[in-house]
Amino acid sequence: MTRRRVLAAAAALALVLPLVAGAQEPYPSRPITLVAPFPPGGVADLTARPVAAAMEKVLKNPVAVVNKTGAAGAVGMQFVATSKPDGYTLLLALSSISIIPEADKIFGRPPAFTVDQFAPIALISADPTILVVRTESPWKTAREFLDDARKRSGQISYSSSGIYGTLHMAMELLSHAAGVKLRHIPTAGAGPALTALLGGHVDALASGPAVILPHIKAGKLRALAGWGDKRVAALPEVPTFKELGYPEAEFYIWAGVFAPKGTPEPVLAKLRETTRAAVGDAEFKSAMDKLETPITFKQGDEFQRFFDTDARRLTEGVRKVGRVEDKK
Amino acid sequence: MLETLGNLGLGFSVALSPPILFYAFVGCLVGTLVGVLPGVGPLAGISLLLPATFGLDATRAIVMLAGIYYGAMYGGSTTSILMRIPGEAASVMTCIDGYAMARKGRGGAALAIAGVGSYIAGTVSVIGLMLLAPPLAAFALRFGPPEYLALLLLGLLVLAYMRSGSMVKSLAMAAFGLLLGMVGIDQMSGYFRFAYGVVELGDGLGVVPVAVGLFGVAEILATAGQLAPPSVIRPKLRELLPSRQEWRESAAPIGRGTVLGFLIGILPGSAHIISSFVSYAVEKRLSKHREQFGHGAVAGVAGPESANNAAASGAMVPMLALGVPSGPIPAVMLAALMVHGVSPGPLLIQQQPALFWGFIASMYVGNVVLLILNLPLVGLFVNILRVPYPYLYPAILVFSILGVYAVNGSVVDVWIMVIMGVLGWLLRKLDFETAPIVLGVVLAPMIELSLRQSLAMSDGRYGIFVQRPIAAVLLAVGVTLVLLNLYSFARRGSDWRTRIALAEKGEESP
Repeated sequence: MTRRRVLAAAAALALVLPLVAGAQEPYPSRPITLVAPFPPGGVADLTARPVAAAMEKVLKNPVAVVNKTGAAGAVGMQFVATSKPDGYTLLLALSSISIIPEADKIFGRPPAFTVDQFAPIALISADPTILVVRTESPWKTAREFLDDARKRSGQISYSSSGIYGTLHMAMELLSHAAGVKLRHIPTAGAGPALTALLGGHVDALASGPAVILPHIKAGKLRALAGWGDKRVAALPEVPTFKELGYPEAEFYIWAGVFAPKGTPEPVLAKLRETTRAAVGDAEFKSAMDKLETPITFKQGDEFQRFFDTDARRLTEGVRKVGRVEDKK
Repeated sequence: MLETLGNLGLGFSVALSPPILFYAFVGCLVGTLVGVLPGVGPLAGISLLLPATFGLDATRAIVMLAGIYYGAMYGGSTTSILMRIPGEAASVMTCIDGYAMARKGRGGAALAIAGVGSYIAGTVSVIGLMLLAPPLAAFALRFGPPEYLALLLLGLLVLAYMRSGSMVKSLAMAAFGLLLGMVGIDQMSGYFRFAYGVVELGDGLGVVPVAVGLFGVAEILATAGQLAPPSVIRPKLRELLPSRQEWRESAAPIGRGTVLGFLIGILPGSAHIISSFVSYAVEKRLSKHREQFGHGAVAGVAGPESANNAAASGAMVPMLALGVPSGPIPAVMLAALMVHGVSPGPLLIQQQPALFWGFIASMYVGNVVLLILNLPLVGLFVNILRVPYPYLYPAILVFSILGVYAVNGSVVDVWIMVIMGVLGWLLRKLDFETAPIVLGVVLAPMIELSLRQSLAMSDGRYGIFVQRPIAAVLLAVGVTLVLLNLYSFARRGSDWRTRIALAEKGEESP
């Protein structure tokens, strides 16, 4: 065999090999894991379950939800960030994916993961937070609330799901947009945060709409305004902060599917196609209906733009909050 | 009252329909198993089974999940009594006297009393839930951070009663436990404390790996270190049942545990764990035979085991009456309702009478099922003790590792268990008690968070603790307890001095 022939053969082999490898294992050929970095019953878990079920139907391949919880989501996100980028380990992330690395930066600790370790696949839902107060509280409108907050700086308190958590960030974005100072009482999660408001231990709360709707209907809570671009369908009479003149206070509790960076493009394409079909599934739609979470599907550039804008807002927000003890 | 009876009739018509009955049974069975498995508690059990309920309707789902919750409270005592491994965190106290009873050959009696106590507590507290849910729930909401801190400080006083040996040693252990409880993210500032770059330590040291390590693994290591293998306990059939005296001694603790557990259970947080600690302390305080505690006092099993069951029902109060997730377990159950399009909220009882009353009735049924399920199992479980140690202990070790791993799917938790096991073994050698460590690990994060939340609410003014009536009353109770103790301590001190003085006098006189 001449040298040229060897080279040609090698080149041919090199061309064929990936094809062979691809032919050996069409994606997907074994169960896919969708990691929910929060415990069962939370937004991430409750979104992940129907997403996984619908993807399973489309792919005709098992998709299992695994709750890898801990450290406000950092454990699960780090797990996916460092897992093999082969499309068999996916992440259902919430906005904390952009908050955690920024918070790590503020404290000067080695980041658990960075945002660029992930490839976005699809946005599934994006629900604006709603500002609620108890019905017996003096504030009838968001304007009254903000005026009072300006007058009594640092006196009006609100609870949150934890420092730098989604419910905290929503309030911080509002405080900065409206130039007011509110008193933050972090709790151990969204449930305790709501309990603190209902029990009268804090004055206000930013919460996802689904959780507070029954309490609004029962006359216990009053919705003042929403953080969304548009009004929430279930609360048509509640204005947005954008309408009230605070466009910078835009915030969503969103959920999206991500793969580790470096996942081969054909696999990513397949996953994009799968999620698109999955959100159209009738059972998926009814599951999200029951959770009163409207589907907001975005992909490709559209999702990237949404994600980048959101991440920019949140990282700025975290930086403005800074280290709590530095404020003292 | 008539209306309640009518509603209950509706409830039983739901609860006794074959499908609901079936799911209640499945829930109870799974709960018992989850409770028996070392480490795996109701939260892990419910979380693992939550997805399986998505295919059911809302009533079946909630009935099954509740069955797991209170079923685990029944099962949790089994390994605590037989092997000194807490089946779940609320059974830590049962390890102390339950295991001591088992070593004396009264393991069967301890299991039977735990079962019957759980049944009475479960049934009585469902009656409480049925009749008092709305007013009690409104009261529970008034428990904010300051009130919670006052309650926890009362809980900390419990430490004083938990010791059976040296006061200094048990205080040292409690302080060590409180220090261990400091590991993890600071909830107020977001700092990682003592995590050393291990992200998994962000949530702190879990109660389960710490308790299983300090109690179970340490016990196994200690036994393995003995020169002669300990004699295998062979329980005789007639020794399975509690004696008349044991029944008499456990009646009052079961009653007190029920009331205490139910009331504490209503409060937000992981109250079923605290309820068992508090019940143990109360029983020890009230007992005429305080010296028996730690050496197989039947009240030390009956009280806490009843309390944790009553607390499980109590936790349903704010959940059903207000739609408020008062702790991690009710939160998962609320999610199960939401998945089925039932919005949990203050209107749940009115809007979903069949679900609410069916659920209540199913808890009556479930408690009967659990009693029938558990009592015959006593005979079976006790026979585990017949297995020779070379086979039994490695098997238990394997199950402990599996159980601790299963809770979070975290290898870090397994390492925590191993380290705590070695530590527990060392501390035993040095004659230190390990129960105060567990109490510290449970209480430290809660105390810290509620203290700092309270101060955030009041802008740093400590007056908040005396301005709020509930907090003030609780703190006053705590201060009174301390003063009473100091008084008796001082009196005993004077006794001691007089005795010496008398003795000296006696020496001088002849």
